[in-house]
Amino acid sequence: MERHFEQELDKLNKRLIKMGNLVALQVHNALEALLNCDLDLARTVIENDNKVDRLDVKIDKLCQRIFALTQPVATDLRLIMAALKMNNDLERMGDQAVNIASKVEGISEYREITGTLHMDELAGMADMIVRDVNTLIGNRNPVFVRDIFQMANLIEDKAQAISTRIFDEMMHKSEVIMVATHLLIVLTQIERIAGYSTNIAESVYFIAEGKMIKHKKTFRSGIDTLPGADMDSTVHLSDENTAEQS
Amino acid sequence: MKEFKIRTQDLTLFYGEKMALNSISMDIPEKEVTAFIGPSGCGKSTFLRTLNRMNDLIPNVSITGEVMIDGVNIFDKQIDVVNLRKKIGMVFQKSNPFAKSIFENVAYGPRINGINNRTELQDIVETSLKKAFIWEEVKDRLHDSALGLSGGQQQRMCIARTLAVEPEIILMDEPASALDPISTAKIEELIFELKRNYTIVIVTHNMQQAARVSDYTAFFYLGELIEHGKTRKIFTTPDKKQTEDYITGRFG
Repeated sequence: MERHFEQELDKLNKRLIKMGNLVALQVHNALEALLNCDLDLARTVIENDNKVDRLDVKIDKLCQRIFALTQPVATDLRLIMAALKMNNDLERMGDQAVNIASKVEGISEYREITGTLHMDELAGMADMIVRDVNTLIGNRNPVFVRDIFQMANLIEDKAQAISTRIFDEMMHKSEVIMVATHLLIVLTQIERIAGYSTNIAESVYFIAEGKMIKHKKTFRSGIDTLPGADMDSTVHLSDENTAEQS
Repeated sequence: MKEFKIRTQDLTLFYGEKMALNSISMDIPEKEVTAFIGPSGCGKSTFLRTLNRMNDLIPNVSITGEVMIDGVNIFDKQIDVVNLRKKIGMVFQKSNPFAKSIFENVAYGPRINGINNRTELQDIVETSLKKAFIWEEVKDRLHDSALGLSGGQQQRMCIARTLAVEPEIILMDEPASALDPISTAKIEELIFELKRNYTIVIVTHNMQQAARVSDYTAFFYLGELIEHGKTRKIFTTPDKKQTEDYITGRFG
């Protein structure tokens, strides 16, 4: 007999995965809109943010109800604590998607710049980390936490390299200053998306292993200490369990 | 580093042919609260009663192994069981006041121990009732029958009666299971205060109560000690799957 409590946890898991899917789509569309200067798609992202907000509130309320009525312990306690955090991080990622989308119009005035700066590579990486995080929420396999940290580091490096090039462009072409400023803001949003992704990876690790690794620089820099360090680095989350996202 | 007040080594107990405890080795720290949890029939109450040799009173019980209290094996032949039980107070699920006044209930133990001086008894009664957080509620009716107290008050009076003989260890067998939430909260607060001076071992079916009041938790199943450790660890990241399944209600 499945208990009522199990059904509540199942509902929470499904809502988190739904939230992850929704946010992944928002980020994907925002980046697509950015690369193609697609104003319609950018508007869709902005309009769809209320769906993310509504789901955010539903998940918070569900967690509150489970806490109040079932006094969870052990794995259940960790799941609900982490669910609250992951939900918050996902909602913030959704906000970053909206922020990126809101910059598309300004950037479209000088649309060649995204190609010149190879923004597509960075956008691809951001898109991938969000999809990977979503898969991680579904399978909660701590082995893949390492992948998220690695990808976040790569995104940070890439964003830094692009921002250096943007400053070069700004110094040499005064006409790009406005657009370049928008792009610098977009870079910050993408870096934040990577940051929220690592937060979610830490939450998954907490659920699975019962250990808090947030703020631990040794875990961040010495990712070899995480489970899965000996794994083939070509194995990637996106190849796995995509069915769980549906 | 806490000292261990009670240490058991390979404690095995049979009721006739039936093994109720299987080689239990456990260290219980001094002036801390240790909770025993587990499903009915797992041996937790049997183990508790073994710590003050209450099982001696049950026919066909055979016990092997050791229970060391302050380094002395309580099963040694020269141990005086009455003196042992003076050192170890016990509180039961159902409060068991004597059909006497509140004063006489609390003074009962000290009287048996030879204290007959009225002033001295009054001091003991007052101190014990204060320690049990019931003095303010009963100070004006000490000579009324204890049977007239509410269930929660009776239980706290029984704890006062236990404290009156100055034990070092208090064993509690589901002390709040028959009480309403307010009385339960009072008992739990009392346990929290008492651990400053006493080593407390509590059996409870209420998982949240174990989590709230205890420093250490031991999980028993089918007469075996499955896991014993700090309560905050047991209720957040237990090592054993059986413990996890039990505390999260997925057992069976």
